[in-house]
Amino acid sequence: MVTDPLLEIRSISKAFGNLQALDSIDLKVDKGSLIVLLGPAGAGKTTLLRCIAGLENPDAGDVLINGDEVTKWQPNQRDIAMIFDNLALYPNKNGYENIASPLRIAKAPKDQIKSKVDEVAGLLKIEHILDRLPGTFSGGEKQRVALGRAMVREPHFYLLDEPLSSLDFMLRIDLRTELKRLQKELGRTFIFATPDYTEALALADQVVVLMDGKVAQMAPAQELYDKPASKEVARFVGNPAMNVVAAQISGESGDPKLIIGGSSIDLTDSDKTKVPSTKDVEIGLRPTAITLLEGDDSVAAGYAKVSGVVNDLEPLGMHTTVGIEVGGESLVFTVEGVRDYQDGTPISVAIDTSALHYFDPTSGSRL
Amino acid sequence: MSNIKLEIINLRKEYGDLVAVDDLSLSVEQGETMALLGPSGCGKSTTLNMIVGLEQPTSGDILIDGKSVINTPSGKRNVGLVFQDYAVFTNMTVEKNLAYGLRVRKEPKDKIASEVLRVADFMGLSDKIDRKPSELSASELQRVAIGRTLVTNPDILLLDEPLSNLEADDRNRMRRELRSIQAETGQTVIYVTHDQIEALSLAHRIAVMNFGHLMQYDTAENVYQHPQNKFVGSFLGNPPMNFVKGVLRKEGDRIFIQNGDSSLPVPTDIGSKIENNSGLIAGFRPETLTVTSNEEDFSFSAEVLAVEPQGPESVVTAKFGDTQVKVVVPSESESATDGNKLNLMPNFDLLALFDPDSGVRLMKHGG
Repeated sequence: MVTDPLLEIRSISKAFGNLQALDSIDLKVDKGSLIVLLGPAGAGKTTLLRCIAGLENPDAGDVLINGDEVTKWQPNQRDIAMIFDNLALYPNKNGYENIASPLRIAKAPKDQIKSKVDEVAGLLKIEHILDRLPGTFSGGEKQRVALGRAMVREPHFYLLDEPLSSLDFMLRIDLRTELKRLQKELGRTFIFATPDYTEALALADQVVVLMDGKVAQMAPAQELYDKPASKEVARFVGNPAMNVVAAQISGESGDPKLIIGGSSIDLTDSDKTKVPSTKDVEIGLRPTAITLLEGDDSVAAGYAKVSGVVNDLEPLGMHTTVGIEVGGESLVFTVEGVRDYQDGTPISVAIDTSALHYFDPTSGSRL
Repeated sequence: MSNIKLEIINLRKEYGDLVAVDDLSLSVEQGETMALLGPSGCGKSTTLNMIVGLEQPTSGDILIDGKSVINTPSGKRNVGLVFQDYAVFTNMTVEKNLAYGLRVRKEPKDKIASEVLRVADFMGLSDKIDRKPSELSASELQRVAIGRTLVTNPDILLLDEPLSNLEADDRNRMRRELRSIQAETGQTVIYVTHDQIEALSLAHRIAVMNFGHLMQYDTAENVYQHPQNKFVGSFLGNPPMNFVKGVLRKEGDRIFIQNGDSSLPVPTDIGSKIENNSGLIAGFRPETLTVTSNEEDFSFSAEVLAVEPQGPESVVTAKFGDTQVKVVVPSESESATDGNKLNLMPNFDLLALFDPDSGVRLMKHGG
């Protein structure tokens, strides 16, 4: 027997006037998974969540929950919990009553309410604020109470729209770890939208990258980073962003030569098998695949030496981001510690040639 | 001869019972970029507003070029302020916006024209000079706002969260541009931000504030690597600094910090200066821990609770005593799996010890 996915989205499209917010989106979500919708502002993340919740009617396509077509159902018929960034707690109810409110509305028995609220408060470590009013909560406490309120029920799944983005950075990191633990422990299903790739990679079982209303890639976190489907995805995931520069491929098919900024790059036999047959390409190179050569450092096997001049320098505490210009092309990489190069200083770097990505210069797709 | 551009002496600002800025003293040199960094409500914007003259201090003094400006009205102080909401005149072209400050001062026409061209050129707006703000992108608008201020040749340029409204890509680009503008013009800049990356990247010195207090004022490198109190350690870094609270124990020639049933060994040269049984907090950054394959003399063991991929590396949350520590490990690290025990070796040069009550660093670096 084939079980239906918990949620299935079939070719959903939605336009607002001339703006195609969603363009034929397909997505399946299994029970107990944590799916992250990742994309820049305006990519369609919130619109997609709203279509799933029933707050927005798609122009075309279907939403199925447990195999039932719910596209025309009202939001309250779908049994979904939504958690937003701007969380609305009842200001005149204490922490306990805020968390208990969905159960009171559902007219659950008193002892059941108490045990549920206590369980959730324990998991979220907010027992100490249950008798206080929201006005006295910190940002993180408010967010935990809002999560607790969503957790006491057991809806089909949770839609979380940038729930951590208004929190201080320290709290954001702590809370995201806890959110994932909670989701796994309780076996709940989360669909989580964020523009922050670090949050997406940290949380997701599967990341769905949305760009311009389309699914640009769907992959587990590490695969998304290691094998981005396009240069747009590659540059969106990673900081400093992946270097993408024009390159030429010449030579014979068995023995291709790669030229970047006029410099020929030495490739190993294994690298050569990955070189596409197109003449003009764009190559992608993560800053982490570039190492500064200092003094008389020799170039290790599998690395190619490239020389150029410094054209950018950004000190960032423990490390420094350095730009090197090679024949008109710029590459950014990171070095440990504090550096003080003047623009134009000649330097050499070693490129890990096994870490080259190739993209079609027109479509941007991975080759 | 002193080249101090701005001096702030015992500055204090009260709003009723709230002390927004408390006994702030610091100086900024000619040509220096100083960042005021801290969470919302720390007093950084209030400080900025007092420098500009939009707020009157409760007590203390502000000197520009050695002269007190406390009684100088805002309009008469030669300082330029740029907000995050790029206040540009929407009905004027870029050229008119840039020229505005000089027109108000009734500067000669040819001087206005040449200054506008000069500023437009290095703000990268030369080809946009006839455009209206509605035709510009967010980062172009911010460049107009900054250029409009620079044209007036202020003693101090004050930037209040100028990049907050920009997308990540634009923010990175603008950071680069701001750095080169500052280097080219030698302009003294005060930069208010809650974003540690912006502060580390742009500022010669960073003033970290919390609850109206100056927590540390030093170079980016020192603020990051040698925090003088727990707050600074926790506010900078991604993930933030780990803190292990414990008691220093000396058993024979072994010195360690005891936390629950776990112990963190400390080298003799650090530990010998501290009394036996002192309570303290050890602080170490997640990226200064190395995973070792075997137990070593100064390593400690912690159990993996969660692994969060971040691309080239993963953030591991591990249980140590009754607390949790975060560790940054390469993403291909196989030992980073839930439930596994990790042997971790801190970099003792970068280990900080803090007083458990005040949070103040016990020993200065190197002493």
